[in-house]
Amino acid sequence: MKFLSLIGVELQKIRRSKILLILFLATIITWLPSILHADMSFNAIVSPEEDFFIQGFMAVVWFMFPATMIVNTVLLSQTERTNRGILKMLTLPVRTGTLCAAKFIILLLIAALQMLMTTAMYFISAAIVTQIHNYKFMLSPLFVLKEVGIIYLSSIPMIAVFWMLSVFIQTPIFSIGTGLVSIVPSVLMINTKAWFIYPMCYPFYVITSGYGDGSISISEIETFPWLPVAAAITLFCFIISCLRFGRAERRSI
Amino acid sequence: MSIALEYKKTKRTGLLAAFLGGGILAALLPILNMAVRSELYLDLSGSPLGILLNANWKMMAMLNILLILTGACMIYYTEYAENAIQRMNTLPIRESNLFFGKFLVLVVLSIFMLAMEAGGIAFCCLHWFQATSELYLDLLKNFGYFFLLLLPGMLLALLIGSACKNMWISLGVGVVCISVATMIPTDNFVLSLFPFSLPFQILEGSDRIIDFVIAAIIEIVLIVLAEEIFLKVRRLFA
Repeated sequence: MKFLSLIGVELQKIRRSKILLILFLATIITWLPSILHADMSFNAIVSPEEDFFIQGFMAVVWFMFPATMIVNTVLLSQTERTNRGILKMLTLPVRTGTLCAAKFIILLLIAALQMLMTTAMYFISAAIVTQIHNYKFMLSPLFVLKEVGIIYLSSIPMIAVFWMLSVFIQTPIFSIGTGLVSIVPSVLMINTKAWFIYPMCYPFYVITSGYGDGSISISEIETFPWLPVAAAITLFCFIISCLRFGRAERRSI
Repeated sequence: MSIALEYKKTKRTGLLAAFLGGGILAALLPILNMAVRSELYLDLSGSPLGILLNANWKMMAMLNILLILTGACMIYYTEYAENAIQRMNTLPIRESNLFFGKFLVLVVLSIFMLAMEAGGIAFCCLHWFQATSELYLDLLKNFGYFFLLLLPGMLLALLIGSACKNMWISLGVGVVCISVATMIPTDNFVLSLFPFSLPFQILEGSDRIIDFVIAAIIEIVLIVLAEEIFLKVRRLFA
Protein backbone atom coordinates (compact mmCIF):
# COMPACT_ATOMS: atom_id res chain seq x y z
CA MET A 1 0.00 0.00 0.00
CA LYS A 2 1.22 3.44 -0.84
CA PHE A 3 1.95 5.80 2.01
CA LEU A 4 -0.63 8.28 0.77
CA SER A 5 -3.42 5.71 0.73
CA LEU A 6 -2.40 4.68 4.26
CA ILE A 7 -2.91 8.25 5.35
CA GLY A 8 -6.27 8.18 3.60
CA VAL A 9 -7.22 5.08 5.58
CA GLU A 10 -6.22 6.73 8.84
CA LEU A 11 -8.28 9.79 7.97
CA GLN A 12 -11.24 7.55 7.24
CA LYS A 13 -10.94 6.02 10.71
CA ILE A 14 -11.30 9.30 12.55
CA ARG A 15 -13.99 10.68 10.26
CA ARG A 16 -16.81 10.24 12.72
CA SER A 17 -14.76 10.99 15.82
CA LYS A 18 -16.16 14.54 16.24
CA ILE A 19 -12.64 15.66 17.05
CA LEU A 20 -12.89 18.68 14.77
CA LEU A 21 -16.04 19.73 16.61
CA ILE A 22 -14.18 19.66 19.94
CA LEU A 23 -11.26 21.58 18.46
CA PHE A 24 -13.65 24.14 16.99
CA LEU A 25 -15.37 24.54 20.35
CA ALA A 26 -11.98 24.97 22.02
CA THR A 27 -10.95 27.63 19.52
CA ILE A 28 -14.12 29.68 19.94
CA ILE A 29 -13.99 29.49 23.73
CA THR A 30 -10.37 30.63 23.93
CA TRP A 31 -10.99 33.71 21.82
CA LEU A 32 -14.06 34.90 23.73
CA PRO A 33 -12.12 36.34 26.73
CA SER A 34 -9.74 38.06 24.32
CA ILE A 35 -12.66 39.81 22.67
CA LEU A 36 -14.15 40.81 26.02
CA HIS A 37 -10.87 42.09 27.45
CA ALA A 38 -9.58 43.74 24.30
CA ASP A 39 -9.56 47.15 26.03
CA MET A 40 -6.71 45.92 28.26
CA SER A 41 -4.51 45.86 25.16
CA PHE A 42 -4.42 49.66 25.21
CA ASN A 43 -2.23 49.57 28.35
CA ALA A 44 0.33 47.15 26.93
CA ILE A 45 4.00 47.86 26.25
CA VAL A 46 3.56 46.87 22.61
CA SER A 47 1.01 48.41 20.30
CA PRO A 48 -2.62 47.37 21.02
CA GLU A 49 -3.05 45.31 17.88
CA GLU A 50 0.16 43.39 18.57
CA ASP A 51 -0.84 42.85 22.19
CA PHE A 52 -4.22 41.52 21.10
CA PHE A 53 -2.49 39.02 18.81
CA ILE A 54 0.01 37.89 21.46
CA GLN A 55 -2.52 37.63 24.30
CA GLY A 56 -4.95 35.66 22.18
CA PHE A 57 -2.36 33.21 20.93
CA MET A 58 -0.82 32.88 24.39
CA ALA A 59 -4.17 31.71 25.74
CA VAL A 60 -4.34 29.10 23.00
CA VAL A 61 -0.74 27.97 23.02
CA TRP A 62 -0.04 27.76 26.74
CA PHE A 63 -2.55 25.06 27.63
CA MET A 64 -5.31 24.51 25.09
CA PHE A 65 -3.21 23.54 22.12
CA PRO A 66 -0.88 21.04 23.88
CA ALA A 67 -3.77 19.53 25.83
CA THR A 68 -5.92 19.00 22.76
CA MET A 69 -2.90 17.38 21.09
CA ILE A 70 -2.90 14.85 23.93
CA VAL A 71 -6.60 14.29 23.34
CA ASN A 72 -5.73 13.62 19.69
CA THR A 73 -3.16 11.01 20.63
CA VAL A 74 -5.83 9.35 22.77
CA LEU A 75 -8.16 9.43 19.79
CA LEU A 76 -5.60 7.82 17.49
CA SER A 77 -4.65 5.07 19.90
CA GLN A 78 -8.11 4.31 21.28
CA THR A 79 -9.84 4.00 17.90
CA GLU A 80 -7.41 1.18 17.18
CA ARG A 81 -7.88 -0.53 20.50
CA THR A 82 -11.67 -0.73 20.48
CA ASN A 83 -12.64 -4.06 18.93
CA ARG A 84 -8.95 -4.83 18.50
CA GLY A 85 -8.65 -2.88 15.28
CA ILE A 86 -4.90 -2.77 15.67
CA LEU A 87 -4.65 -6.55 15.30
CA LYS A 88 -6.31 -6.31 11.89
CA MET A 89 -3.99 -3.49 10.91
CA LEU A 90 -0.96 -5.52 11.97
CA THR A 91 -1.99 -8.42 9.71
CA LEU A 92 -1.82 -6.20 6.64
CA PRO A 93 1.32 -6.37 4.51
CA VAL A 94 2.41 -2.97 5.81
CA ARG A 95 5.41 -2.29 7.99
CA THR A 96 4.45 -1.15 11.45
CA GLY A 97 6.85 1.75 11.22
CA THR A 98 4.99 3.02 8.16
CA LEU A 99 1.70 2.71 10.02
CA CYS A 100 3.11 4.68 12.89
CA ALA A 101 4.44 7.35 10.55
CA ALA A 102 1.03 7.64 8.89
CA LYS A 103 -0.60 8.19 12.25
CA PHE A 104 1.98 10.80 13.16
CA ILE A 105 1.26 12.63 9.92
CA ILE A 106 -2.44 12.61 10.83
CA LEU A 107 -1.57 14.10 14.19
CA LEU A 108 0.41 16.88 12.49
CA LEU A 109 -2.50 17.40 10.10
CA ILE A 110 -4.98 17.84 12.96
CA ALA A 111 -2.56 20.26 14.64
CA ALA A 112 -2.32 22.25 11.41
CA LEU A 113 -6.11 22.32 11.13
CA GLN A 114 -6.40 23.59 14.68
CA MET A 115 -3.83 26.31 14.02
CA LEU A 116 -5.75 27.32 10.90
CA MET A 117 -9.00 27.49 12.85
CA THR A 118 -7.30 29.58 15.52
CA THR A 119 -5.97 31.94 12.87
CA ALA A 120 -9.39 32.24 11.28
CA MET A 121 -10.88 32.98 14.69
CA TYR A 122 -8.15 35.57 15.23
CA PHE A 123 -9.18 37.43 12.09
CA ILE A 124 -12.85 37.24 13.04
CA SER A 125 -12.29 38.43 16.59
CA ALA A 126 -9.89 41.15 15.46
CA ALA A 127 -12.60 42.37 13.10
CA ILE A 128 -15.13 42.35 15.95
CA VAL A 129 -12.95 44.34 18.38
CA THR A 130 -12.04 46.75 15.59
CA GLN A 131 -15.75 47.49 15.32
CA ILE A 132 -16.26 47.76 19.09
CA HIS A 133 -13.32 49.99 19.97
CA ASN A 134 -13.05 51.91 16.73
CA TYR A 135 -9.36 51.10 16.54
CA LYS A 136 -7.71 48.92 13.93
CA PHE A 137 -6.75 45.69 15.73
CA MET A 138 -5.97 43.79 12.55
CA LEU A 139 -2.34 42.94 11.82
CA SER A 140 -1.28 42.31 8.26
CA PRO A 141 -2.39 38.79 7.22
CA LEU A 142 1.03 37.95 5.80
CA PHE A 143 2.70 38.72 9.13
CA VAL A 144 0.09 36.73 11.09
CA LEU A 145 0.43 33.71 8.83
CA LYS A 146 4.20 33.80 9.14
CA GLU A 147 4.07 33.94 12.95
CA VAL A 148 1.47 31.19 13.14
CA GLY A 149 3.64 29.10 10.84
CA ILE A 150 6.59 29.50 13.20
CA ILE A 151 4.44 28.59 16.20
CA TYR A 152 3.21 25.51 14.37
CA LEU A 153 6.68 24.38 13.38
CA SER A 154 7.92 24.92 16.92
CA SER A 155 5.16 22.68 18.25
CA ILE A 156 6.26 19.66 16.18
CA PRO A 157 8.86 18.42 18.74
CA MET A 158 6.19 18.64 21.44
CA ILE A 159 3.74 16.64 19.35
CA ALA A 160 6.45 14.04 18.70
CA VAL A 161 7.01 13.68 22.44
CA PHE A 162 3.29 13.25 23.11
CA TRP A 163 3.06 10.68 20.32
CA MET A 164 5.99 8.76 21.75
CA LEU A 165 4.33 8.80 25.19
CA SER A 166 1.10 7.39 23.82
CA VAL A 167 2.90 4.66 21.85
CA PHE A 168 5.32 3.81 24.61
CA ILE A 169 3.04 3.78 27.64
CA GLN A 170 0.28 1.25 27.20
CA THR A 171 -1.75 2.26 30.26
CA PRO A 172 -3.76 5.25 29.02
CA ILE A 173 -3.88 7.02 32.38
CA PHE A 174 -0.11 7.28 32.53
CA SER A 175 0.37 8.47 28.97
CA ILE A 176 -2.41 11.07 29.34
CA GLY A 177 -1.36 12.03 32.86
CA THR A 178 2.32 12.39 32.00
CA GLY A 179 1.45 14.47 28.96
CA LEU A 180 -0.95 16.80 30.76
CA VAL A 181 1.33 17.20 33.76
CA SER A 182 4.29 17.99 31.48
CA ILE A 183 2.44 21.02 30.12
CA VAL A 184 2.14 22.69 33.52
CA PRO A 185 5.83 23.51 34.15
CA SER A 186 6.24 25.14 30.72
CA VAL A 187 5.43 28.48 32.39
CA LEU A 188 8.48 28.03 34.58
CA MET A 189 10.68 26.64 31.83
CA ILE A 190 10.34 29.60 29.46
CA ASN A 191 12.02 31.80 32.06
CA THR A 192 15.06 29.60 32.44
CA LYS A 193 18.18 29.52 30.29
CA ALA A 194 17.67 25.85 29.47
CA TRP A 195 14.26 26.32 27.88
CA PHE A 196 15.41 24.68 24.66
CA ILE A 197 15.68 21.23 26.25
CA TYR A 198 11.97 21.21 27.12
CA PRO A 199 9.88 20.73 23.95
CA MET A 200 6.58 21.38 25.73
CA CYS A 201 7.44 25.04 26.15
CA TYR A 202 8.65 25.80 22.59
CA PRO A 203 5.39 27.23 21.21
CA PHE A 204 4.78 29.20 24.39
CA TYR A 205 8.34 30.50 24.34
CA VAL A 206 7.96 31.56 20.73
CA ILE A 207 4.81 33.55 21.37
CA THR A 208 5.97 35.17 24.62
CA SER A 209 9.31 36.16 23.13
CA GLY A 210 7.22 38.67 21.20
CA TYR A 211 7.21 40.87 24.31
CA GLY A 212 11.02 41.02 24.24
CA ASP A 213 11.92 44.58 23.38
CA GLY A 214 8.64 46.37 22.95
CA SER A 215 7.87 45.17 19.47
CA ILE A 216 6.94 41.75 18.27
CA SER A 217 9.76 40.13 16.46
CA ILE A 218 9.32 36.42 16.84
CA SER A 219 11.80 35.61 14.13
CA GLU A 220 14.68 36.96 16.22
CA ILE A 221 14.85 33.99 18.59
CA GLU A 222 18.31 32.51 18.89
CA THR A 223 18.26 29.45 16.71
CA PHE A 224 21.35 27.88 18.21
CA PRO A 225 21.31 25.57 20.17
CA TRP A 226 17.54 25.45 19.90
CA LEU A 227 17.13 24.07 16.36
CA PRO A 228 19.63 21.18 16.62
CA VAL A 229 18.22 20.15 20.00
CA ALA A 230 14.63 20.35 18.73
CA ALA A 231 15.48 18.34 15.62
CA ALA A 232 17.26 15.73 17.72
CA ILE A 233 14.32 15.39 20.11
CA THR A 234 11.84 15.09 17.24
CA LEU A 235 13.88 12.48 15.42
CA PHE A 236 14.54 10.49 18.57
CA CYS A 237 10.86 10.41 19.57
CA PHE A 238 9.74 9.60 16.03
CA ILE A 239 12.18 6.73 15.56
CA ILE A 240 11.50 5.28 19.00
CA SER A 241 7.74 5.34 18.48
CA CYS A 242 8.05 3.77 15.02
CA LEU A 243 10.17 0.98 16.49
CA ARG A 244 7.84 0.38 19.42
CA PHE A 245 4.54 0.68 17.58
CA GLY A 246 2.43 -2.48 17.82
CA ARG A 247 4.93 -4.30 19.99
CA ALA A 248 2.64 -4.74 22.99
CA GLU A 249 -0.21 -6.02 20.84
CA ARG A 250 2.05 -8.61 19.24
CA ARG A 251 3.16 -9.87 22.60
CA SER A 252 -0.37 -10.26 23.96
CA ILE A 253 -1.59 -12.57 21.17
CA MET B 1 -19.70 -2.97 48.86
CA SER B 2 -19.99 -0.93 45.71
CA ILE B 3 -16.91 1.16 46.43
CA ALA B 4 -14.81 -1.98 46.89
CA LEU B 5 -16.13 -3.26 43.58
CA GLU B 6 -15.43 0.00 41.84
CA TYR B 7 -11.95 0.06 43.23
CA LYS B 8 -11.34 -3.46 42.01
CA LYS B 9 -12.27 -2.40 38.49
CA THR B 10 -9.64 0.32 38.51
CA LYS B 11 -6.92 -2.05 39.61
CA ARG B 12 -5.23 -2.45 36.26
CA THR B 13 -5.80 1.09 35.07
CA GLY B 14 -3.04 2.43 37.30
CA LEU B 15 -5.36 4.94 38.95
CA LEU B 16 -3.82 4.58 42.39
CA ALA B 17 -0.28 4.88 41.04
CA ALA B 18 -1.27 7.95 39.02
CA PHE B 19 -2.70 9.68 42.09
CA LEU B 20 0.32 8.66 44.13
CA GLY B 21 2.69 10.03 41.49
CA GLY B 22 0.66 13.20 41.04
CA GLY B 23 0.49 13.74 44.80
CA ILE B 24 4.24 13.34 45.21
CA LEU B 25 4.89 15.68 42.31
CA ALA B 26 2.54 18.33 43.71
CA ALA B 27 4.05 17.94 47.18
CA LEU B 28 7.55 18.37 45.77
CA LEU B 29 6.57 21.59 44.01
CA PRO B 30 6.59 23.91 47.08
CA ILE B 31 9.66 22.15 48.46
CA LEU B 32 11.60 22.66 45.21
CA ASN B 33 10.35 26.21 44.93
CA MET B 34 11.59 26.98 48.45
CA ALA B 35 14.87 25.17 47.91
CA VAL B 36 15.64 27.21 44.80
CA ARG B 37 14.21 30.63 45.62
CA SER B 38 13.70 30.70 49.39
CA GLU B 39 15.11 34.25 49.73
CA LEU B 40 12.21 35.46 47.58
CA TYR B 41 9.64 34.25 50.10
CA LEU B 42 11.32 34.46 53.49
CA ASP B 43 11.13 38.26 53.63
CA LEU B 44 7.45 38.44 52.82
CA SER B 45 5.10 39.42 55.59
CA GLY B 46 2.13 37.25 56.49
CA SER B 47 1.64 33.74 57.70
CA PRO B 48 4.00 31.09 56.26
CA LEU B 49 1.04 29.09 55.08
CA GLY B 50 -0.37 32.06 53.20
CA ILE B 51 2.96 32.79 51.52
CA LEU B 52 3.50 29.18 50.50
CA LEU B 53 -0.01 28.71 49.18
CA ASN B 54 0.00 31.98 47.28
CA ALA B 55 3.28 31.02 45.64
CA ASN B 56 2.48 27.41 44.81
CA TRP B 57 -1.19 26.58 45.01
CA LYS B 58 -2.08 27.63 41.46
CA MET B 59 0.19 25.01 40.00
CA MET B 60 -0.67 22.39 42.59
CA ALA B 61 -4.37 22.95 41.93
CA MET B 62 -3.74 22.62 38.22
CA LEU B 63 -2.04 19.26 38.80
CA ASN B 64 -4.91 18.16 41.03
CA ILE B 65 -7.66 19.05 38.62
CA LEU B 66 -5.81 17.55 35.65
CA LEU B 67 -5.31 14.33 37.55
CA ILE B 68 -8.93 14.21 38.63
CA LEU B 69 -10.13 14.81 35.09
CA THR B 70 -7.93 12.01 33.75
CA GLY B 71 -9.04 9.74 36.58
CA ALA B 72 -12.71 10.48 35.99
CA CYS B 73 -12.43 9.81 32.27
CA MET B 74 -10.48 6.62 32.88
CA ILE B 75 -12.77 5.30 35.59
CA TYR B 76 -15.79 5.56 33.31
CA TYR B 77 -13.92 4.41 30.24
CA THR B 78 -13.33 1.02 31.88
CA GLU B 79 -17.11 0.60 31.75
CA TYR B 80 -17.55 1.67 28.16
CA ALA B 81 -14.63 -0.31 26.75
CA GLU B 82 -15.84 -3.77 25.70
CA ASN B 83 -19.42 -2.68 26.58
CA ALA B 84 -19.16 -3.64 30.23
CA ILE B 85 -21.71 -0.94 31.05
CA GLN B 86 -24.45 -2.97 29.36
CA ARG B 87 -23.85 -5.80 31.81
CA MET B 88 -23.87 -3.35 34.70
CA ASN B 89 -27.20 -2.00 33.50
CA THR B 90 -28.79 -5.43 33.62
CA LEU B 91 -27.89 -5.86 37.29
CA PRO B 92 -30.57 -5.09 39.88
CA ILE B 93 -28.85 -1.90 41.02
CA ARG B 94 -29.59 1.67 40.15
CA GLU B 95 -27.40 3.15 37.49
CA SER B 96 -26.63 6.13 39.67
CA ASN B 97 -25.04 3.81 42.26
CA LEU B 98 -22.31 3.22 39.74
CA PHE B 99 -21.76 6.95 39.60
CA PHE B 100 -21.60 7.32 43.39
CA GLY B 101 -19.30 4.33 43.71
CA LYS B 102 -16.89 5.86 41.25
CA PHE B 103 -17.23 9.24 42.92
CA LEU B 104 -16.30 7.73 46.29
CA VAL B 105 -13.23 6.06 44.79
CA LEU B 106 -12.10 9.42 43.43
CA VAL B 107 -12.87 11.10 46.76
CA VAL B 108 -10.71 8.65 48.67
CA LEU B 109 -7.89 8.96 46.17
CA SER B 110 -7.99 12.74 46.20
CA ILE B 111 -7.98 12.86 50.01
CA PHE B 112 -4.88 10.75 49.77
CA MET B 113 -3.38 13.17 47.24
CA LEU B 114 -4.29 16.27 49.25
CA ALA B 115 -2.77 14.72 52.37
CA MET B 116 0.54 14.31 50.55
CA GLU B 117 0.38 17.92 49.39
CA ALA B 118 -0.39 19.08 52.92
CA GLY B 119 2.66 17.10 54.01
CA GLY B 120 4.81 18.94 51.48
CA ILE B 121 3.53 22.33 52.64
CA ALA B 122 3.98 21.37 56.31
CA PHE B 123 7.56 20.35 55.61
CA CYS B 124 8.26 23.74 54.04
CA CYS B 125 6.70 25.53 57.03
CA LEU B 126 8.79 23.58 59.50
CA HIS B 127 12.03 23.70 57.56
CA TRP B 128 12.15 27.28 56.33
CA PHE B 129 9.77 29.21 58.60
CA GLN B 130 9.24 29.31 62.33
CA ALA B 131 6.15 27.20 62.56
CA THR B 132 3.65 28.10 65.22
CA SER B 133 1.53 25.68 67.19
CA GLU B 134 -1.48 26.62 65.10
CA LEU B 135 0.13 25.28 61.94
CA TYR B 136 -1.61 21.92 61.90
CA LEU B 137 -5.02 23.38 62.59
CA ASP B 138 -4.53 25.96 59.84
CA LEU B 139 -3.32 23.28 57.48
CA LEU B 140 -6.39 21.18 58.21
CA LYS B 141 -8.68 24.16 57.64
CA ASN B 142 -7.02 25.09 54.36
CA PHE B 143 -6.94 21.62 52.91
CA GLY B 144 -10.49 20.95 54.04
CA TYR B 145 -11.49 24.02 52.08
CA PHE B 146 -9.49 22.87 49.05
CA PHE B 147 -11.12 19.47 49.28
CA LEU B 148 -14.64 20.89 49.34
CA LEU B 149 -13.92 23.15 46.38
CA LEU B 150 -12.47 20.23 44.46
CA LEU B 151 -15.70 18.22 44.67
CA PRO B 152 -17.85 20.15 42.12
CA GLY B 153 -15.13 19.83 39.50
CA MET B 154 -14.74 16.15 40.26
CA LEU B 155 -18.49 15.56 39.93
CA LEU B 156 -18.65 17.51 36.69
CA ALA B 157 -15.71 15.55 35.26
CA LEU B 158 -17.49 12.32 36.20
CA LEU B 159 -20.72 13.59 34.67
CA ILE B 160 -18.89 14.29 31.40
CA GLY B 161 -17.20 10.90 31.64
CA SER B 162 -20.50 9.12 32.15
CA ALA B 163 -22.09 10.94 29.24
CA CYS B 164 -19.50 10.09 26.59
CA LYS B 165 -18.80 6.65 25.29
CA ASN B 166 -15.48 7.63 23.79
CA MET B 167 -12.72 8.73 26.09
CA TRP B 168 -11.32 11.35 23.74
CA ILE B 169 -14.62 13.24 23.75
CA SER B 170 -14.91 13.32 27.55
CA LEU B 171 -11.22 14.16 27.87
CA GLY B 172 -11.49 16.80 25.16
CA VAL B 173 -14.49 18.49 26.74
CA GLY B 174 -12.80 18.35 30.15
CA VAL B 175 -9.58 19.82 28.80
CA VAL B 176 -11.53 22.66 27.18
CA CYS B 177 -13.30 23.31 30.50
CA ILE B 178 -10.00 23.38 32.41
CA SER B 179 -8.37 25.74 29.98
CA VAL B 180 -11.39 28.03 30.30
CA ALA B 181 -10.93 27.81 34.08
CA THR B 182 -7.28 28.85 33.80
CA MET B 183 -8.32 31.96 31.92
CA ILE B 184 -10.80 33.06 34.58
CA PRO B 185 -9.32 35.64 36.98
CA THR B 186 -9.53 34.33 40.55
CA ASP B 187 -10.82 37.63 41.91
CA ASN B 188 -13.94 37.59 39.78
CA PHE B 189 -16.50 35.97 42.07
CA VAL B 190 -19.24 35.05 39.60
CA LEU B 191 -16.90 33.54 37.00
CA SER B 192 -14.90 31.73 39.69
CA LEU B 193 -18.00 29.72 40.52
CA PHE B 194 -17.36 27.62 37.42
CA PRO B 195 -16.74 24.14 38.93
CA PHE B 196 -13.34 23.72 37.30
CA SER B 197 -12.03 27.06 38.51
CA LEU B 198 -13.11 26.63 42.14
CA PRO B 199 -10.03 24.52 43.03
CA PHE B 200 -7.80 27.51 42.28
CA GLN B 201 -9.26 29.48 45.22
CA ILE B 202 -7.15 30.00 48.33
CA LEU B 203 -8.51 30.28 51.86
CA GLU B 204 -5.85 32.66 53.19
CA GLY B 205 -6.71 36.28 52.57
CA SER B 206 -10.03 35.54 50.94
CA ASP B 207 -13.05 37.47 52.21
CA ARG B 208 -15.72 35.37 50.52
CA ILE B 209 -15.03 32.01 52.11
CA ILE B 210 -18.61 31.43 53.23
CA ASP B 211 -19.91 32.35 49.78
CA PHE B 212 -17.60 29.88 48.11
CA VAL B 213 -18.51 27.11 50.55
CA ILE B 214 -22.24 27.66 49.97
CA ALA B 215 -21.73 27.86 46.22
CA ALA B 216 -19.70 24.64 46.20
CA ILE B 217 -22.41 22.80 48.14
CA ILE B 218 -25.13 24.09 45.83
CA GLU B 219 -23.09 23.04 42.80
CA ILE B 220 -22.56 19.57 44.24
CA VAL B 221 -26.31 19.12 44.70
CA LEU B 222 -27.07 20.50 41.24
CA ILE B 223 -24.54 18.30 39.45
CA VAL B 224 -25.73 15.18 41.28
CA LEU B 225 -29.32 16.03 40.31
CA ALA B 226 -28.25 16.63 36.72
CA GLU B 227 -26.54 13.25 36.60
CA GLU B 228 -29.65 11.50 38.00
CA ILE B 229 -31.87 13.17 35.42
CA PHE B 230 -29.39 12.51 32.63
CA LEU B 231 -29.22 8.79 33.44
CA LYS B 232 -33.02 8.55 33.58
CA VAL B 233 -33.43 10.31 30.27
CA ARG B 234 -30.72 8.26 28.60
CA ARG B 235 -32.35 5.07 29.78
CA LEU B 236 -35.69 6.19 28.35
CA PHE B 237 -34.25 6.73 24.91
CA ALA B 238 -31.72 3.89 24.86
